[in-house]
Amino acid sequence: MKKGMIKATGPFERVVHWCVALSCLLLCFTGMGMMYHSLNGLGTMVGGMGNLKMIHNFGGIFFAISLVFTIGMWWKEAGLFSFPEDWQWIIAGGGYLWHVENMPEVGKYNPGQKMFFLVVALFGAIMVASGLIIWFPFSFAVSLVRMMYVLHALGFVIIFAFFFVHLYLVTIGAPGSAPAMFTGWVTKAWVKKQHPKWLKEMEEDGTLVVYGEEKHSKKGRC
Amino acid sequence: MKKELVKLIDLSRCTACRGCQVACKQWNELPAKRTKNFGSYQNPPDLQWNTWTLIRFQEHEKKNGKVDWLFRKDGCMHCTDAACIKVCPTGALYHTEFGSVSMHADKCIGCKACITACPFSVPKYNAETNKIAKCDLCYTRLQVNQPPACVQSCPTGALQIGAKDAMIKKAYARAEQLGGDANVYGDKFVDGTHVIYILPEKVNVYEHLPVDPKVPLEIIIWKDVLKPAGLLAAGAVVAGCFLHYITHGPKTPDDETTCEGGNKS
Repeated sequence: MKKGMIKATGPFERVVHWCVALSCLLLCFTGMGMMYHSLNGLGTMVGGMGNLKMIHNFGGIFFAISLVFTIGMWWKEAGLFSFPEDWQWIIAGGGYLWHVENMPEVGKYNPGQKMFFLVVALFGAIMVASGLIIWFPFSFAVSLVRMMYVLHALGFVIIFAFFFVHLYLVTIGAPGSAPAMFTGWVTKAWVKKQHPKWLKEMEEDGTLVVYGEEKHSKKGRC
Repeated sequence: MKKELVKLIDLSRCTACRGCQVACKQWNELPAKRTKNFGSYQNPPDLQWNTWTLIRFQEHEKKNGKVDWLFRKDGCMHCTDAACIKVCPTGALYHTEFGSVSMHADKCIGCKACITACPFSVPKYNAETNKIAKCDLCYTRLQVNQPPACVQSCPTGALQIGAKDAMIKKAYARAEQLGGDANVYGDKFVDGTHVIYILPEKVNVYEHLPVDPKVPLEIIIWKDVLKPAGLLAAGAVVAGCFLHYITHGPKTPDDETTCEGGNKS
């Protein structure tokens, strides 16, 4: 680890993130193996479509538990908008879509991240509820089960599309972001660019952790 | 492709002898299960994984106050636009060359989607095998030019099977001959079923027989709208991300602050 890196996430945060992320991906692909006949080969890879269904069903339980931790961990920071600055950010398209002169300073989570969190939380919960009803259809009215198929497919459309936005931004779209979820340490330059208000807040509160320096350092390097 | 076949059920000729019910069990080697008398000659009470066809007994009070006994042979209608085939994730349910809906039992994973989707409540779940079961119009018999077991057994001529066009023609001729409320059921919905009834009474008189059966709207939204939309949306997002990268560009930390690790100044 290089000196001067800034601690962005803790190990618990990263473990929860990867639990929900990997189980979500597993569910996307096993689900697609069942939705698209051309992807039935995914079932063959695990020894048959019956196994694929089982992986999807029990993977869903793992996802549900991970989702509870995700929501519990992030809803205060990422689930609530703070106006008016978040509104300004949204109007400006986050500075991602066209040139914006004076972007409002972003805190720990920008409104785009908050929206992503809310979509995952809301549709994740919908996927869990509809998935359980589809899993045990005899315990519910047929008309309800039919609606759950619609919701389950709708949730997939939205979550799967959002996944690619997420993937783009953390790789080539906003370079320097990914280490936050691997090592937990990001460069100061990245924090300054992406979350300047958060950096200031941490400096003021003395919660900024810089690698190789004593805690509570208020010295800005670089 | 062989000619599409239609099994014609003339309910005006059915005496509820239930020969078809027994013949079906015999040919398809379906066991009997203990049932309870629920105050009707009808037995079992409903279609089961081991009962693919069933004569329904129904008491019907006519306009003149007299009570009529209505019999209806229930079972798979073998739809052309079959909801069960639409929802089956593994291709276990499929259309045969005769237009009937058959099933590769080894492919069934017991997801029960077809049970939810079927407008006629036909597929039934067998918990022991974790598979669904239903009438396949005796596919193995059709393949060797034999009529289905139920048709073979019918002593009154209420059941017959033949080329689709000829059977529909016959059905309308018989309905006209019967007169009154007699009508033909099956050729006008789900793109035509391969089991067609001649009903002596109006459709809504018969219990458990939907007046206007169709593939449920939810299934259409799921399979015809959201299923392709899933790929389209993901594709559009990937294309959009690429366009964003080559036009607007990534959001990189500013040059003057990019000293790696922020500690080289």
